[in-house]
Amino acid sequence: MLAENMLQFRNQLQAHNISFCYSGFMTEDLLVGIGNTIRKKLEMSELDKKRCKTVFSVFVEQMQNVIRYSSERETHTDNTDLSFGIVAVGEDAGRVFVTCSNVVDNASACSLKSVLGKIKSLDKDGLKALWKETLKGDSPEGSKGAGVGFIDIARKADGGIEYDFAPIDGGRSFFTIKAFI
Amino acid sequence: MSILRIESTQRTPEVIFDFANNVFHLRGESYPEDVKEFYGQPIGRLEGHLEGLTNAEIRFTFEFVYFNSSTAKILMNLFDMLEETAARGNTVLVVWAYEKDDDNMEELGEEFGEELSRATFSMLAV
Repeated sequence: MLAENMLQFRNQLQAHNISFCYSGFMTEDLLVGIGNTIRKKLEMSELDKKRCKTVFSVFVEQMQNVIRYSSERETHTDNTDLSFGIVAVGEDAGRVFVTCSNVVDNASACSLKSVLGKIKSLDKDGLKALWKETLKGDSPEGSKGAGVGFIDIARKADGGIEYDFAPIDGGRSFFTIKAFI
Repeated sequence: MSILRIESTQRTPEVIFDFANNVFHLRGESYPEDVKEFYGQPIGRLEGHLEGLTNAEIRFTFEFVYFNSSTAKILMNLFDMLEETAARGNTVLVVWAYEKDDDNMEELGEEFGEELSRATFSMLAV
């Protein structure tokens, strides 16, 4: 039964064409570890070097988003934040995809929807202009990054991005973004 | 000490800021946990140094394998700083080095290079 359950779980991942999946608490150390593993695996695949680098880069942006912004988090006594999220990499119809999910509160969901809506509406030149404008602007309050991650993902994902929100309760939603490369 | 040197790690670049000779170099990977924590001190020192220069020759080489979007923001700020230094009458050469088959890094170099008009910009495939 034990193995049966896990086999079913594995089959489910395979049915979604997922070749790599991590679900749990994430830290920056884990990002480096998983990142290196994904890099190695990509280098062994038939993907060209450019796409390998793009997949790695989209993975870093997505995982840093979860680490920085997941609302499901615990702070260790040494001040390290553990943020809960799921990251997966797979292949579908000739495209590699990188997808990340995490819980967000309503206010974040609202601002994510407006930011991602704007990003999705832009073409290549529009994205470049927004990217530059954001790089030159002030960082959002309390941000460890630059607030430019999603624009970067959209610029690199030549197969496009998809995103979605599933309500969990009155105050929170489950957010997913998927980038195709 | 007139040379600031930071060894590279898996996720942070090698930093060589030779203040005596005005030769500066960032090389490697850049996706630190907190960009401000990594770049804050070196760039603060660089800014103070550049502000004091007149009629100087400055060479800044960027040689990245990969950098994340938070680093891109730091780079934009650096390009701005170098352009201002050139606008004050200094001779500033900015070199963007990239692996010769790395189209992404080449394109990023071109995009950052557009920000410069007073500083001289050159791309170098290595």
